[in-house]
Amino acid sequence: MTGEVIAFFVLAIVAIMGGMLLLHLSNVVHMVVALVFTFLAIAGIFITLSAEFVAAVQVLIYSGAVTIIMLFGIMLTRHDDVSEKKQIKSSTLLAAGGVGAFFLLMFFAINGMSVSEPATNLHVDNTKRIGELLYTNYLIPFELISVLLLAALIGAIILAKRDDKQEEKP
Amino acid sequence: MNWQAIEWGAMLPELIVLGTSLLLILLDLFLRKTVSRRPLGFLALLGVAGAFSALVLQLHEPSIQLFHDMYRVDGFSKTFKMLLLIGTFLVLCLAYDAKLGREENVRGEFYYLILTALVGAMFMASSADMITLFIGLELLSVSSYIMAGLKKHDAQSTEAAFKYVVSGGIATAITLFGMSYLFGLSGETNLYSMAKALQETALPDQSYMLVFAFFITFTGLAFKIASVPFHMWAPDVYEGAMVPVTAFLSVVSKTAGFIFIIRFFVLVFMMSKGVNSDSLLQQVQPYIIWLSGITMLVGSIIALRQSNVKRLFAYSSIAQAGFILAAFSVFTPALFETMWFYLFAYVLMNIGAFAVIQEVTTRNNDTGMTSFEGLGKQSPWLALAMTIFLLSLAGIPATVGFIGKFGILIALLGYGGLHYVLAGILIAATLLSYVYYFNLIVQMYFRTGEVKEKRRSQKGLLIVTIVCAAATVIFGIVPNIALHFFYEQFSISTFLQL
Repeated sequence: MTGEVIAFFVLAIVAIMGGMLLLHLSNVVHMVVALVFTFLAIAGIFITLSAEFVAAVQVLIYSGAVTIIMLFGIMLTRHDDVSEKKQIKSSTLLAAGGVGAFFLLMFFAINGMSVSEPATNLHVDNTKRIGELLYTNYLIPFELISVLLLAALIGAIILAKRDDKQEEKP
Repeated sequence: MNWQAIEWGAMLPELIVLGTSLLLILLDLFLRKTVSRRPLGFLALLGVAGAFSALVLQLHEPSIQLFHDMYRVDGFSKTFKMLLLIGTFLVLCLAYDAKLGREENVRGEFYYLILTALVGAMFMASSADMITLFIGLELLSVSSYIMAGLKKHDAQSTEAAFKYVVSGGIATAITLFGMSYLFGLSGETNLYSMAKALQETALPDQSYMLVFAFFITFTGLAFKIASVPFHMWAPDVYEGAMVPVTAFLSVVSKTAGFIFIIRFFVLVFMMSKGVNSDSLLQQVQPYIIWLSGITMLVGSIIALRQSNVKRLFAYSSIAQAGFILAAFSVFTPALFETMWFYLFAYVLMNIGAFAVIQEVTTRNNDTGMTSFEGLGKQSPWLALAMTIFLLSLAGIPATVGFIGKFGILIALLGYGGLHYVLAGILIAATLLSYVYYFNLIVQMYFRTGEVKEKRRSQKGLLIVTIVCAAATVIFGIVPNIALHFFYEQFSISTFLQL
């Protein structure tokens, strides 16, 4: 067992545990902390794949920005700190059965798959090459994303803004 | 890279729509709050018309591709973009007269969000790369989520927007999950390179993964077209959103979903091997057949029990998605023609029907079926137009809907096998649909409603109703005009890049 495999398993288990805890914790702030663990573990997995740039972005945006925004959202809104106690219903069991069947199918499909030799030169100048590709071949999706963010921003403002009529009344 | 060498003019239709949308954002920001926002609607109409004329000018140029197929102008993208632009133009005409609440007109935000949604849909139509396709899909979806929630003080609209975001997010995650497998198996994002890579590897142990990837991606995309595994959002969202948004979701958004499905699945899976040596798309046909059959039956049967017009049309649009999926299950070159023509018919008849629904529901301030009572006496022309649309949706001869449905039926019968079963289900679903469409006609002509004050007829609405009704009849009698245009533009060899 090489160090890479050990690192992968540790990170994978942390990522999955974070996800599980997110679903099972009852305090909202604790949920966000569990989510941070998942994000950081995924960043670690990116490093084992020699994608350092993506790992840095993952830490900056997901563990940093997204988490802070979620915390802001929690702090600025009224919420019941503790969610209701979960009871096991028949629909939960059905979903669990579906997830289990899906897991088994995927497991056998992946297990039986032969993988070609992994690339060895992934670490060479990878950030530079991402930049080059982003501004040449992938220019159109890159620009389109800015339109997407603009639409999302406008939407957030429309839905959160107080209307003028309401402002006049109080 | 030489920037001058790139033919930016190829993107002119998209750039016009995008520019109009940015202009509207700025105008909305700087105009005084008391100024009416209706002129913005007029500008949006001009922008869409400009994009349409730019597209018409492109019609006779050869196909172009930019940035390694990130953006393609070929017969497929031109013909389908035409549907998107016509649909959005008609929806904007509708919105010109729509009322948000009792008195309030449509807010300025609607106009630029519908344009950004259109930009996303148009980029989906002319892209052969997984990343651009996905971002176009998301741009369309995010704009639609916001549009569904524009009636902020209406609890139903807020509920609709929330349900739409949550189920849309899940569907997006599922689509991306499937796409990630395809990227992992092929190592490419360009659809043509993907097809090549998947064809070459052809290892039997990879084909199982490929089949899973197909199922997962298809399930995710079923959300956009509101077909069976992901149809439950449609009735609530259609009921909650205002009528122009509902029309946009049921027509333009659905067309965009089918564009994605055709481009993505036909290109990627046509050549790749399935579990045995057949093409994968051939092997998953039974799955698509059952999905389409169930979609038709679920939509038609639940529609029988609806008493709200908007919910009725939501279920009817689920059933229509089933009909179009039936066309997709027939894997011959005729697939493009039948799907395009049915979507064309669907744009005309459904937007027309929504125009009448908007007029009737604002007049009565009620979306129940009973609001149609006595329409035949009160405004005979409106009732006549609605009758034409309903007959076309039901597929009665001499309407465009009949030609579309007939084309699908012939294609199914020509294929044989399990497709005979699907043809049977299609006929059964059509018969069921007669019940609920004719029920509405009965309400209009054979029930007497209380006489309401007459409203001044509205320009935008009038245009939409007249154009749609005329086109429904004209293309029902001489469908060859549209089909001839499609054949002239579309060639399967440029689509497949043979």
